[in-house]
Amino acid sequence: MARLSPILKEVLVHLFKKPATRKYPEEKPHVPEGFRGRQVFDISLCISCGLCARDCPAEAIEMVEVDGKLRPLFHLDRCIFCYQCAESCPRNAIKSSGIFELAAKNKSDLVVKPKTNHTSAGGSQ
Amino acid sequence: MSLDLAFLLRVLIFPGLTFILFLTMFCDWVERKIEARMQNRMGPTYTGPAGVFQPFADFIKLLTKEDIVPFNVRDFVFRLAPILSFSIFAFAFVFLPIDGVSVVSNSNFEGDLVLVLTLVSIANFFLFLSGWSSINPYSATGAARVLTQFLGYDIPLFILALAPAFLAKSLSISKIAASQFIPFAFVVPWVFVLFIITLQAELEKDPFDIPHAETEIVGGYETEYTGRRLAFLKLSKDVQIVLGAAIAVELFLGGPHGPVFYGPSAFWCTLWFVLKLLVVIVLTEYLTCVFARLRIDQALVINWKLILPLSLLSLVAAVGVGLWLYPLR
Amino acid sequence: MNTDKILEALSNALGDGILQTRTLRPEKVCVQVKVGAHRDAVKVLLNQDGNAGISAITGVDLGKTIELMYHIRTCNTIITISVNLTKENAKIESIADLIPGANFHEREVSDLFGVTFEGHPNPGRLILPEDWPENVFPLRKDFVALNFQSKMENSEALKDNGRHSIDERLVNIVFGPQHPALIEPEKFTLKVDGEVVKEVKPRIGYVHRGIEKAAENRTYLQDIYLVERICGICNACHAACFCQTVEAIMGVDVPPRARYLRTIILELNRIHSHMLLLGHAGFEIGYETLFHYMWRDRERVLDITEELTGNRIVASFITIGGVRRDLKEDVISRINAELETLKGRMNFYRQLFEGDSTLKMRTKNVGILSRQDALRLCVVGPVARGSGVDMDVRRDEPYAAYNEVPFKVITYDEGDSWARLMVRLDEIVESINIIQYALEHLPSGPYRVRVPRIVPAGEAIGRVEAPRGELFYYVKSNGTASPERVKVRTPTFANILAFVKIAEGGNIADVPASFVSLDPCFSCTDR
Repeated sequence: MARLSPILKEVLVHLFKKPATRKYPEEKPHVPEGFRGRQVFDISLCISCGLCARDCPAEAIEMVEVDGKLRPLFHLDRCIFCYQCAESCPRNAIKSSGIFELAAKNKSDLVVKPKTNHTSAGGSQ
Repeated sequence: MSLDLAFLLRVLIFPGLTFILFLTMFCDWVERKIEARMQNRMGPTYTGPAGVFQPFADFIKLLTKEDIVPFNVRDFVFRLAPILSFSIFAFAFVFLPIDGVSVVSNSNFEGDLVLVLTLVSIANFFLFLSGWSSINPYSATGAARVLTQFLGYDIPLFILALAPAFLAKSLSISKIAASQFIPFAFVVPWVFVLFIITLQAELEKDPFDIPHAETEIVGGYETEYTGRRLAFLKLSKDVQIVLGAAIAVELFLGGPHGPVFYGPSAFWCTLWFVLKLLVVIVLTEYLTCVFARLRIDQALVINWKLILPLSLLSLVAAVGVGLWLYPLR
Repeated sequence: MNTDKILEALSNALGDGILQTRTLRPEKVCVQVKVGAHRDAVKVLLNQDGNAGISAITGVDLGKTIELMYHIRTCNTIITISVNLTKENAKIESIADLIPGANFHEREVSDLFGVTFEGHPNPGRLILPEDWPENVFPLRKDFVALNFQSKMENSEALKDNGRHSIDERLVNIVFGPQHPALIEPEKFTLKVDGEVVKEVKPRIGYVHRGIEKAAENRTYLQDIYLVERICGICNACHAACFCQTVEAIMGVDVPPRARYLRTIILELNRIHSHMLLLGHAGFEIGYETLFHYMWRDRERVLDITEELTGNRIVASFITIGGVRRDLKEDVISRINAELETLKGRMNFYRQLFEGDSTLKMRTKNVGILSRQDALRLCVVGPVARGSGVDMDVRRDEPYAAYNEVPFKVITYDEGDSWARLMVRLDEIVESINIIQYALEHLPSGPYRVRVPRIVPAGEAIGRVEAPRGELFYYVKSNGTASPERVKVRTPTFANILAFVKIAEGGNIADVPASFVSLDPCFSCTDR
């Protein structure tokens, strides 16, 4: 007869332990550095090369004209957060943040327009 | 003939139908919470304090859903089966003493152990019919499994239930519960252990939850049921679990009898009954958590080759203990 | 046994049947033969090596002709037999009688390219729906995208798909496409007699997204992210295999630090996939407690992956020329601590799998695949290793840093579901050891090299040991920014025939338990 399965004791022990579920949204998870969340675009570094739009695998970046120059517009509903745009940018104008709560009630909230003299992405925060 | 109002209140309110419904919902919550904690997760938390109202919420949600009857089913049986199985399970409760005496205590009927176990079998049979009447290969397989399983395990259940009857020298559940100075679970522990295992199989819980094995046959006999009928089918399963645990409490743990402090004895008896019920439920839930699901042929082999001979032997041993405790004059 | 001996045997047997020999990078031989001579070539290869099997059959549209390449896996490498067929007369003899495992490969090529395989035991649609128009072949270059809606009702598909059933009184139980036991949709029609399964008919193609065709319209850089999304669970392996193959075409060598980092992410992928599967196996056999415990412990692996790559599941870590980001020193100690805890937990699961009686009752002697069947059906991965076939691409043809990291290849001989689950359990512990070794011996230096965007013309083959088995890529480049052909042969596609074999003759109740031990990933299968 095989020896007793270790799960018999394990289940009893767990009856008295705190559950492993994290009570989101009261408890927020720990977001590590380098997490690929919502993009942060620094317009002062942009040189309008358009490499980000060309390399995006999901065609989520559109170059639009702002104040006479071409700037990237991010469609967050198409974005796959691969950050190829950040890699292709020769001036490091696109960086990642830890924001992952991106649910929105209408599509226009998910379009991030480049604004002049802003160091954070425009649209709704 | 005048209506006996007190009797009516006892049947319908306490310890009758309403009390049984509330007790079922409460035991369902206890089961889900215990199972969740054993699996290191939260269980129902948000509906009501610590999630107590979750079973109510599930029941009411199902009542509001659309009731679809598929085209080719045997209509009459399909509609009748969930209601009848729930009713019969609930009816069996009138024979169990919950607050000291059973609801029909003034009828002097002495054979209610056999009657209650027969009612359990009949109600199980209606569960089988619910699956058989839906023309669906998944339901038919589930129904066939229910029939094979409960018919097979009914025999050891009857045999094991006779042991406390012999020790108490009566077939009346009230008398069996009242004659336990030491609960029979400690006098004949082997019978109690076998009874709990057979109960797992009767109540279709792991390792015996073969008839509604989700991953193999979708829903088993519940597959074609929706809306109100599904609500009643699920409710009848829950009442079955509470009934099975209540029978175990009455036969082996002394029923509602226990130390009575100040106040009405009915309150204390109910309290002891509910506490003992929770003990049995936690025990069966523990067994559910530690085992995988067996195949139907493995369950049958265990029954006919292991449980049935063991139950016969344990009955003989219990009779021996009984004769030693109360020698024949 | 080496390739020169085999090539000699081939030229002796075929004589002037061989038209020319060329090399597919890196150092893989491709022998082009005349149309009728391919069967003799395959016979020679099977005679030379008893363990030979077919890895994939690739079709390439060359304009006027279709090139059909049979990639045979033998002697730790791949030998390709290629045949050129004209488009007007695209017929060729089937090799399914010589190698039963080639059955589905040939059906796929006939579906997507329009090649007719004469003598095939059960021809018919495999990937495309039944009412797809005739004479429209998606992977040919002259294909124009059509607006097509499949109108097949489910009852149509329940009828015979070309195979006649053995007995008309059997009941059809349709396992899928929507079923609680399957996480992804595929249909298996089981003909049962009571509780015993007599016949199994698989129908795949429900998740076909046309990724191979889509890869031809995108640049190489965009393609990395496309192939990563063929499968969510083994995404790093797809990216690694694609990048390896493209680097082979370019002749680029990846720096040592990048090779070690690739090894780390590939092994993390393997641990997470195996833990997912073991939990899922618990769920299938009704053991929900095991499921919850295993997935709770899997969260540690996902946290490590998040620290390393920035995302929990889809790593997006590997790129052409190396990896995309570096591993910092303080992260290494955190990873080591989590891995030590995980090893302790694996000990507990090992005791559970070896000691628990109901679990063993459900998985021992259930779904047996004999060694001979495993070789004939050319199965790969833990399915093969659970039946005693000793094959592992990491040892046979090392890539990334596997030639420098010591590890064991786990095999079990029983061939039942329990053996396949135990193979995966032991592989988790091996992977933890590999990662710890790699972290300790991580070389310093750059983690990527810059590569040009235009890839020179050429073709290459890449193989990677994904969690489910050997993943095979063939990439052909024509000197532009987009590839000419990307062929992906995923491990579950090679294992589908094993489903039929192990389900027939068993109980219905054993079907989910056996299927889950084969670790199906149908997104991979259908691409």
